[in-house]
Amino acid sequence: MTHADPSLTLHGVFRRFGYRWVVRDVSLDVAHGEAVLLVGGNGAGKTTLLRVVSGLLKASKGRVERQGAVGMVAHHTMMYDALTARENLRFFGRLHGRSDRTRIDALLDRMGLLHVGDERIGTFSRGMLQRLAIARALLPEPRVLLLDEPLTGLDDSASRTVVEVLAELKRGGAGMMIASHQLVELVGSADRVGYMVGGRMAALEPCGDAGQVVQRYRELADRG
Amino acid sequence: MGSYETLRVALAIAAKDLLVEQRTKTAFFSSLVFAILVLTILYFARDATAVSDLDLAPGALWVTFTFAGMLGLNRAFLLERENRAVDGLRLSPATPTGIFLGKVLGNLVFVGVVELVSLPLFILFYDVPIWRQLGLLLLVIFLATTGFVAVGTLFSAIVVRTRFSEVMLPVLLLPFLFPPIVAAVQLTRRIVALRPFDELTGWLSMLAAFVVIFFFLSLLLFEAILEE
Repeated sequence: MTHADPSLTLHGVFRRFGYRWVVRDVSLDVAHGEAVLLVGGNGAGKTTLLRVVSGLLKASKGRVERQGAVGMVAHHTMMYDALTARENLRFFGRLHGRSDRTRIDALLDRMGLLHVGDERIGTFSRGMLQRLAIARALLPEPRVLLLDEPLTGLDDSASRTVVEVLAELKRGGAGMMIASHQLVELVGSADRVGYMVGGRMAALEPCGDAGQVVQRYRELADRG
Repeated sequence: MGSYETLRVALAIAAKDLLVEQRTKTAFFSSLVFAILVLTILYFARDATAVSDLDLAPGALWVTFTFAGMLGLNRAFLLERENRAVDGLRLSPATPTGIFLGKVLGNLVFVGVVELVSLPLFILFYDVPIWRQLGLLLLVIFLATTGFVAVGTLFSAIVVRTRFSEVMLPVLLLPFLFPPIVAAVQLTRRIVALRPFDELTGWLSMLAAFVVIFFFLSLLLFEAILEE
């Protein structure tokens, strides 16, 4: 891991909605093969920060530098209920110039969805949709992966699959930012933890175990 | 992104929109039923001794096409609002130009099919002698529909963020449709009356100019609309 060659760099990023500053002065580097876990309460600015980093929202101040393709998993699947899982992946694959059937089948298989590849996703459970959303995010072979609550709706087995996939991507050199409340499952994947309090990154530190992260977050939140 | 890539993206988006419509069929059937209903009501509501078929036909045709098309245009970005699929488009390398052209192409095929299905009904009801000038009428329909769809696609992207997008679209769109629809009505009136081509050139140039201006203005503004 080298911080001299980051996959992602944030320079004093601010974002506001109307008069309310939701993200304030966040700066950090994410190296290739590094994962930063964002921890914070509801409304701390984690989702907005990820949307700014992805380019879906513009920074009100500051700038974001990304190296390579960006993959994102958000609260919504960003896909079409009337299409099948395979059709959705093929469509987004065409936009990325990566619509070959072998790759799409490999992604469906990796996420345990190959057997339902030809079913409309409107019939999928929350967990299946989440796994498909992760497959969509992986389509462009991202060098930067942004994950907002990636384990939502997943059972233990699916959560383990996702954690394994994240580990493979890290080994492949992808930089990641992960916002989640499911610390027990994800601290093992993270190298550093960014503690978000009131839109600011109150601290950015090496990742300990889930208990230490929670304890540290409470200290920072109490300080405001 | 080069022009080939833009075209590839546009075709992918248009094909996806049409596949979704083919699966759901809701917008197509509601537009078609609306078109048939309007043509039928206007035909039976007229007093044949006071208003001739030829006088009523151009207005009936364009009222039908405009409102039936608007029903379809509404769905263009409602599709993208579902599950925030538009974010998926924006995260891809697709340019706003590619997305806009894809949406316009999909809408053009959708509205075009509704028009083509309702046109024989129009010819049957109003007994208009258009066979000799059918090519010319199709050209006018194509031009006016392209202008209408380009602006409609832009406004569909704007109003989809509002709570009452189905109501807002006609309210915002209709004033902008006034020039091309008036030109199209004037041209259709002359075509069904079998007027010489010389009498069409002025309106035809005006319609073509409106379409070009509307198309490129919509394309330019779309990028700003798509952001945030």
